[in-house]
Amino acid sequence: MMPLKVQSLAVSFPGLATPVLSIANLEIAAGSRVALTGGSGSGKSTLLNIIAGLERVGSGHVVWGGQDIARLSEGRRDRWRAENVGLVMQDFHLFAGLSALDNVLLPARLSRVSTPDLVKRAHELIETVGLKRTGQPVETMSRGEMQRVAIARALLRKPGVIIADEPTASLDVENGEAVGDLLLSVAAGAGSTLVVATHDQRMIERLDRRIVLRGGCIVGDDVVGKVPV
Amino acid sequence: MIRFIIADLRRLWLGCAVVVLLVALATALGVAVTLQERSLRLGSARAADKFDLVIGASGSETQLILSSIFLQPAPLPLVDGELLSKLAADPRVAWAAPVGFGDSFAGYPIVGTTTTLVTSTTPGFGEGRLFAAEGEAVLGASVTLPVGAVVKPMHGTAETGGPTHTDIAYKVVGKLKPTGTPWDRAILVPIQAVWHVHGLGDEPEHEDGGTEPAATVASATHDEDHHHGGIDPDAPIVEDFGADTPGLPAILVKPKSIADAYRLRQAYRGNGTVAVFPGEVLTGLYATLGDAKMVLSAVAAGSQALVAAALVLVTVIHVGQRRRQIGALRAFGAPRVAVFLIVWLELLLLVALGIGLGFVCGLLAAQFGAHLFTAKSGVILPVGFTRDDVRLALFLLGFAAVLSAVPALLAYRQSPAQALRS
Ligand SMILES: Nc1ncnc2c1ncn2[C@@H]1O[C@H](COP(=O)(O)OP(=O)(O)O)[C@@H](O)[C@H]1O
Ligand SMILES: [Mg+2]
Repeated sequence: MMPLKVQSLAVSFPGLATPVLSIANLEIAAGSRVALTGGSGSGKSTLLNIIAGLERVGSGHVVWGGQDIARLSEGRRDRWRAENVGLVMQDFHLFAGLSALDNVLLPARLSRVSTPDLVKRAHELIETVGLKRTGQPVETMSRGEMQRVAIARALLRKPGVIIADEPTASLDVENGEAVGDLLLSVAAGAGSTLVVATHDQRMIERLDRRIVLRGGCIVGDDVVGKVPV
Repeated sequence: MIRFIIADLRRLWLGCAVVVLLVALATALGVAVTLQERSLRLGSARAADKFDLVIGASGSETQLILSSIFLQPAPLPLVDGELLSKLAADPRVAWAAPVGFGDSFAGYPIVGTTTTLVTSTTPGFGEGRLFAAEGEAVLGASVTLPVGAVVKPMHGTAETGGPTHTDIAYKVVGKLKPTGTPWDRAILVPIQAVWHVHGLGDEPEHEDGGTEPAATVASATHDEDHHHGGIDPDAPIVEDFGADTPGLPAILVKPKSIADAYRLRQAYRGNGTVAVFPGEVLTGLYATLGDAKMVLSAVAAGSQALVAAALVLVTVIHVGQRRRQIGALRAFGAPRVAVFLIVWLELLLLVALGIGLGFVCGLLAAQFGAHLFTAKSGVILPVGFTRDDVRLALFLLGFAAVLSAVPALLAYRQSPAQALRS
């Protein structure tokens, strides 16, 4: 559970005249569930990368529960992200050749924080996301199953925040719904702050808050239901 | 991490196999050259070991050694037979034995010599006994004839294809234990028999009156018709060589001490004779061998450099193609050091495997080469690794470690966000 406070953030890439993202002020309460919407190229992924500590912050502050990750070095930011952020991406980013269980545990193992307890938790999480065979190689799974493994991986270290970038966009409707529901329920179960960039109307409606981006600026920020689609 | 690396390598097994084979090939080339050259040195030195001093007529010292120790067929000029009795009487000499060549049987050179030489330079008999009569012969260990076989000498070698001395035949009475020298491929007969076969010396059935005292038993140029000699197979062996001893291509001398060896060499230099330490001549040959090795080593090093460059190129491209995977590793919480280690270890593992395989292949190739050489020359080449090779292996591994760090550093510096986008 972590609150986020973004201040005078500006992100630009070399060769581009205008900043890709400019946000004067944005606050997200701890434990809240936020949808990030906007057209393609509006800056959703960029914003998620920034608040996940994946992208270096040029100017501004990105404060998670008192910690300004814009001030952290690359290595410390990596460590902070590993401990506090669960990531779910559109294309899963699982590692072929490894089983579901090994995929869930891989980041923890590479960080040398894997313990018997964590392995047990991995088993439980795989069950929680609705998979039966922990040993199944991920390349033999369906897309829906793959995203479930990715969700289990994101939850392994009980992150205070879950960041998902179009988690259902590459799934069919049925799987998309199931995965969306799963994401909401596990986030609620863990009490994690949830930020999801999505076009999925059903998902947007089930989240507490909706932030709309256009051209890198926040153009809408409302409790869902009051904003017409 | 190990499991991840293994899964990764298995996924890319074809490329990995190519990398391993490439490295193995380049390594094997260098290793084979080194091993072959070293074994050639050791083997030839060992072959010359038993022969302290060789005396012959002045001419090429190298040819004298090649003919007398390595039994390479070639015409040698002859020294006066009297020299043998002079040497035998010299107080500095333990023993002196003549050798005579020129005939062959079934591709094996027939060497005429004395009982002293056979007993002093060989480790004894594996089968049978030493020749005791003029018509008896003893086989080197590698001659594939049985004891009891009949040997009909042919003039010259199988390649030059001279006529057989039709009515002459030796009976094989013994087979020696292996010495690891070209003499293992020789058929040894009493030197007096060689003389008699060629119509030299004081044999009873002398036909042509010995008009050609310098008629060489080693020369391929002489006229065949002139020495239809014959042997008396049951005649006893006489080994006190007097003044009428025929000319000799080479005399092998065992000095009593090292000091004597140097004095003898001094004494029999000049005046139509040369006295040579085989080691000396070999040292000269090694210099040539060393040059050849340099060239081959340069070729090997060149190929290794090419392979190294190709490897760096391939892996840099490969890391570029794996940006997504590498970026994802970091994005999901793997520390940068782990990413570095994965890329580094993967490549190092492949290269190390290639180097290991290369050393094995190099060893096998060198052994194969040595085998062929032994079959042809009789010289046993001891092929094996030494501490130098361990050092080479460590050096190669160290180099591989540094080289593998290049793509690993690239991976280390990659931004995870950029990698995920593509
Ligand atoms: N590394 C980069 N270099 C230049 N432009 C970039 C880079 N990353 C993103 N952009 C640009 O930033 C804008 C926002 O991209 P993105 O955040 O991915 O949008 P969304 O996720 O909403 O589709 C796009 O116009 C994109 O072209
Ligand atoms: Mg996007």
